[in-house]
Amino acid sequence: MDAILATYLPTLVRYVAVMIGLGVLIYVVYKVQIRFGVKREAATGRALVMPWVVGFLIFNVFAIGASLYLSFTDYNLFRAPEWVGTANYSELLDIQIVPLESREQRSSDALPRRYGEVQRVEIGDGGFVIGARDENFWRSMRTTLVYAVITVPLGLIGALGVALLLNQEVKALGIWRVVYYMPAILPAVATALLWRWMFSRSGIINSALAPALSIFGQPPPNWLTDPALILPVFIIVSFWGVFGANSVIFLAALKGIPKELYEVADIDGAGEWKKFRHVTLPMISPALFYNLIVGTIAALQVFEVAAFITVPESVGTFLNWRIFQEAFNFRNMGAASAMSWIMLMLIVALTAMVFRSSSAWVFYQGARDERK
Amino acid sequence: MKRLMMVVGLVLVLGVLSVAAQSDPVTITISTWAGVDESAELQVLIDEINASQSDYQIVHQPIPSDYYTQVKTQLAGGTGADLFWMDQNNMALASEGVFLPLDECLAGSAPETAGDLSDYYPGILAVNQFDGATYGLPWIAQPVVLYYNRGLFDAAGVDQPTNDWTWDDFTAAAEALTLDTNGDGEVDQWGFTNNGWPPPFIFVWQSGGEPISADFTTSPIDSPEFVSGFEFYLSTAYNPAMSPSRDVIAEQGFGEMFKAGKIAMFMGGAADDLDRVEGLDVGVVRVPANPDTGSHTTFAWNASTVISANTPNPELACAALVALTEQIHGWKIVSPRISQGTVEHLIEAEPRKEASAENIILAAQDMRALPIFGNYAEWDSLFWSDFWGPLINDETDLTVAELAAEVRPELEETLGN
Repeated sequence: MDAILATYLPTLVRYVAVMIGLGVLIYVVYKVQIRFGVKREAATGRALVMPWVVGFLIFNVFAIGASLYLSFTDYNLFRAPEWVGTANYSELLDIQIVPLESREQRSSDALPRRYGEVQRVEIGDGGFVIGARDENFWRSMRTTLVYAVITVPLGLIGALGVALLLNQEVKALGIWRVVYYMPAILPAVATALLWRWMFSRSGIINSALAPALSIFGQPPPNWLTDPALILPVFIIVSFWGVFGANSVIFLAALKGIPKELYEVADIDGAGEWKKFRHVTLPMISPALFYNLIVGTIAALQVFEVAAFITVPESVGTFLNWRIFQEAFNFRNMGAASAMSWIMLMLIVALTAMVFRSSSAWVFYQGARDERK
Repeated sequence: MKRLMMVVGLVLVLGVLSVAAQSDPVTITISTWAGVDESAELQVLIDEINASQSDYQIVHQPIPSDYYTQVKTQLAGGTGADLFWMDQNNMALASEGVFLPLDECLAGSAPETAGDLSDYYPGILAVNQFDGATYGLPWIAQPVVLYYNRGLFDAAGVDQPTNDWTWDDFTAAAEALTLDTNGDGEVDQWGFTNNGWPPPFIFVWQSGGEPISADFTTSPIDSPEFVSGFEFYLSTAYNPAMSPSRDVIAEQGFGEMFKAGKIAMFMGGAADDLDRVEGLDVGVVRVPANPDTGSHTTFAWNASTVISANTPNPELACAALVALTEQIHGWKIVSPRISQGTVEHLIEAEPRKEASAENIILAAQDMRALPIFGNYAEWDSLFWSDFWGPLINDETDLTVAELAAEVRPELEETLGN
């Protein structure tokens, strides 16, 4: 017992020291403001928010700045970072597109040495192959983008469908709402492990499919090792939880639509589809816009599922998991930081595109009223 | 109110400090990747050590998941345990100065004890040595051996493997045991299996080749010896004449196929449980030899315990390391110590290996470890991505010799020469 206590004692001491330090900081900030004539209420508020500000500066601002600096260095965790300029970015962005002399020609023989195949496109008797110095990065980029392009729209449609159902006057509505939201509050790691078990060779999904497949003499699919099936697996898994969280936002938006609009539409003879198309959709478009932005960012940052379900090398894992591997498995912190910044640029670009398009399809009731 | 808060704070701090002052003996922590069962067995050994002396108490801090990510982060941050388990690949971290050199603290060790460096197999100890210093004490050296299913050999009328087998005997048997047993026109039993495991270095070493020279200045993978060893290795991988395709392995599992009685021969670690599968009669011999050299050299997976360079108690940490390593040598097989390279010692450590103990000890005499150096991870990554991977996955039309000549300069760049 003494030994265990002694092991954790330093942590306890540090924890107490941090608490005392933050308490002193709050006190000093408060006193300084009072001395400069700041009102007591405002000074208290600013002083009490200081722990969060300190945490934000250390764990967010410093970390973001450090990663930007490290992306221009060669850093392996143990030695001091060595400035390499844009070498990390140059290597990551080094892509070659090489024509294929014939369909039989191997990609590795067509590409220059040190370049790996990212995508092979066969056209007629030839075609071309896209290669990269860091082919695993681009494979991960491809996997992540394809995943996002498929799951974000499907997730939005599914969530909207669930929200429309939950917006109906049915019995035990509260229970239904809880049931649909429950997946969103379960830990992502636990659900990832559960899905991995379900899709394993002897998992419940193959057990359910086995009788039907045996009729056609087909073996159960290898969901987690077949390159053709792994992306569909991730897409299926993505639906878990997405419906719940997004549906709540859609449901709130649906509840906010004035009934008068539907009554006017009824008087004008609009059917259910026209009411949905011309009343419901425009009125919930801000929620749709929000879910699209948040969903896109989340889809590009998939981590937990990728960490617990191994992807065949030829497919490429998810970008966030690839960054983690580069940083902690291969100890290339510089390259991993550069990957992070490329991913950030991608997210910013996609988000900006959605924002720019929003004026064409997002309808803000308040904004329209203001213009009047 | 303020005075009360100050008094409470003072009492808290004094309480913490007084407990700290009373914490005697010194606590030595060890982080391992041990899971629940392995941790329980290790704890028995730790309890014995803790009860036998009063200078220190060892506390086990298992990290069964994502071990190296956490450990590397701890080492980089100068935090974490006093002792760590490290497998051979990660012993390369010694070149980063994060482990404590052990030579001084082990200098007075009694002969044939865990602290006696001369009692370790030199090839295994070498993994722990950099620039003339020793950074870890090996606690296991598990040679790759040949497991074979006696039932499948008898059913096919093929002579069972012996310790004198060569590659020719092995190939002939593997091909004879690759059969369509139910007559449906498709092979459903294979003589051998290779999906990248076993390591190609077994056959390269047997042929006299070296992936990296002893002085770590060259990577002579285009030497005739290396090439011939690697070519034999490739002839056993995904070869329809003797081994299943990658699709079949992906579908049915690698080791699982041997346990299911679909593979006649499997190269695995000596401590694997392949020879105690219920319903299978499994024998063990050393790996077959290169017929030209007669070498039975095999690969040994090995692991060590190291001391963090940041430990506040280096002397006691060293004492704990030696005591714990001594205990582990009586628990894990195969012990990396020459004086413990006996059938009796192996059976005492693992009675379930009694039937194969003699052949395991024989294999251990020819075991070698990877040529680990500071930048090994980069060399290994390049070796796989540019050479081993394209060849075993049939992604190149180049021969082994042609590709080796192309890749060698790139590998030698990672050696830093």
